[in-house]
Amino acid sequence: MEMATATQTPPALTFPRAVFAAVAPHPFLQAHLSADKKSIRANGRTASEFRTPGINTGSLTHCNGSAVVRLGNTSVVCGVRAEILKEEDIAGTYAYAAHSADQDEEGEEEDDSEEVEGIRLLVPNVELATGSTPSHIPGTAPTTYAQTLITRLRNLLHSTCLLRASNLRILYKPSTNPENPDTEAETQLKGYWVLYLDIFFISIDGNAFDAAWISVLAALRDTLLPHAYFDEEYEGILCSDDSNEAHRLQLRGLPIPSTFAVFEGMREDDDDEDDVDWVLSDPDAFEEGVCRETVSVVVDCQGGKKGTRDLVIRRVEKSGGGVVGREMMAGLVKMSIDRWGVVEGVLSGKT
Amino acid sequence: MIEPTVTLTHLHRADGSATYTHNGYSIIGAVNGPIEVQRRDELPEEAAIEVNVRPSIGVGSPRERHQETLLHNTLRSIILTRTLPRALIQITLQVRTLPLEDGTTGVNSSLTLLPHLLHTALLALLSASIPMRTTLTAVLIAQPSSPAKNIVPSLLSPSAHDLVRSKPVRAVHVFAFAGDGRMLLNESDGRFSFEEWNEACRMAEVVCCGEEEEEEEEEEEKDGGGVELEAEGEAMDVDAQAQKESLDLWLRSVVRRKVEGEQRWRRAT
Repeated sequence: MEMATATQTPPALTFPRAVFAAVAPHPFLQAHLSADKKSIRANGRTASEFRTPGINTGSLTHCNGSAVVRLGNTSVVCGVRAEILKEEDIAGTYAYAAHSADQDEEGEEEDDSEEVEGIRLLVPNVELATGSTPSHIPGTAPTTYAQTLITRLRNLLHSTCLLRASNLRILYKPSTNPENPDTEAETQLKGYWVLYLDIFFISIDGNAFDAAWISVLAALRDTLLPHAYFDEEYEGILCSDDSNEAHRLQLRGLPIPSTFAVFEGMREDDDDEDDVDWVLSDPDAFEEGVCRETVSVVVDCQGGKKGTRDLVIRRVEKSGGGVVGREMMAGLVKMSIDRWGVVEGVLSGKT
Repeated sequence: MIEPTVTLTHLHRADGSATYTHNGYSIIGAVNGPIEVQRRDELPEEAAIEVNVRPSIGVGSPRERHQETLLHNTLRSIILTRTLPRALIQITLQVRTLPLEDGTTGVNSSLTLLPHLLHTALLALLSASIPMRTTLTAVLIAQPSSPAKNIVPSLLSPSAHDLVRSKPVRAVHVFAFAGDGRMLLNESDGRFSFEEWNEACRMAEVVCCGEEEEEEEEEEEKDGGGVELEAEGEAMDVDAQAQKESLDLWLRSVVRRKVEGEQRWRRAT
């Protein structure tokens, strides 16, 4: 018996799966992807498969709007709190021109990005819970990771002009015009609603940006602002208790991001012509650890058109490597458009 | 397009440095490396890269952290980090001046600054003789919104003044290409279709990498002549101006001057 085994080649060094993943994450993922024609990833998804988000809105009672979003093991809570910014407290020299706010119909969009961005009516903040991700050390200043996330979210909020300034203004029209009692008084700006968007990560298992943005969208769609009015006798802004008078925010469009990670496999030798690069949709934390290049495409197909000539793309972010070129980007944009339909369905509660 | 002006290796305490001025933007870059790395950041198989972006006014904010992340990811893909394991390459970029109109362009100002930051970082790395896989060139493209039917051509590497004049701008794109023609970075913002993006990308490729014909002579011999002629014709359609100047050629001229300066001691005799 002993003799028989000695003549055979010694068995190859084998590891349990978890050990292989921990010791050599890069070859581990490559072994998974190249084992099958369909390129199944280590987490069981195919290369182009996204995780379907789970969305629950209105779970926080002390917020004006809130949402809990789960994307696999990434879970994030977003709460929207509205606070009143009085007219006299507005920093800078923004002057409200009393143009008619009724013009804000489709087609004749007013450009209010300077108003929303300049007065900072949107304040996003990202917080990572202790233990949400191993790389996060609690009790320290916000990490570069968190600050990058905040900047990306803020840029997207402003570049898509998601919020309408007309929803956030608190206006007052005096009942009588003191200068000329015969004409109507001019509408005055008395304040703004400032929205504090607090994004709290309970756990991060990759693709934090998509999860955070979907939670922001869901929370903003859930937000209910009480009716605020200027009281002549009180000479201040009061809010109405009546929930029937409260209004929802009318968002501009529905931009939805899709993030991809590019896995660059090791070539056996330089002459190897095989394609060893994979584009992985919606990467998890393990995949983000071994992928260097990421691509994020934000699309908004609410107009219903999805062709290559239609203005559907709102943002493209790509960095970290040179695998995705012009040709590959076409495929990624197409996948993002498909993804838009799925997320839109979940957000509107259809599925 | 006006060529950027560059001064290389003018800070004598840093391992490498560069001052870069273009379109009213001026940035000083310094590179130290390879130097000792903090135990926490040490990587066993490759060099750690640290990027610090300092704004022209005040201290860094989340906006600068985001720019640092972008620069870090991009530079990590071109620096041969595996040749310098357990070391640190520290890149510091100080924005010195911004154009007067920078705040009023209506365009995300971190995007307009990004190509300049990338160029400064690359030049400082070249000055510090950090081993790199390839070079990098970046360009900004702005697409003004076109009223009704007449299509406004995209602006190539516009100055802040151009952006203010062509307000409102519908989309801005930043592209960075490696020396071998691969797209390393893309940040696009606004509202645009895939075809417009594709066109902007093609335009950026011509500006950054130039056409094959304009490359060094040995490169020219490698490619077939027929392909070149075709490529040239295409470039004429895109932008006749871009045909004359490519950022790749500009970068080559900067490096040529650097090498000539370094070889002076041999030629003087």
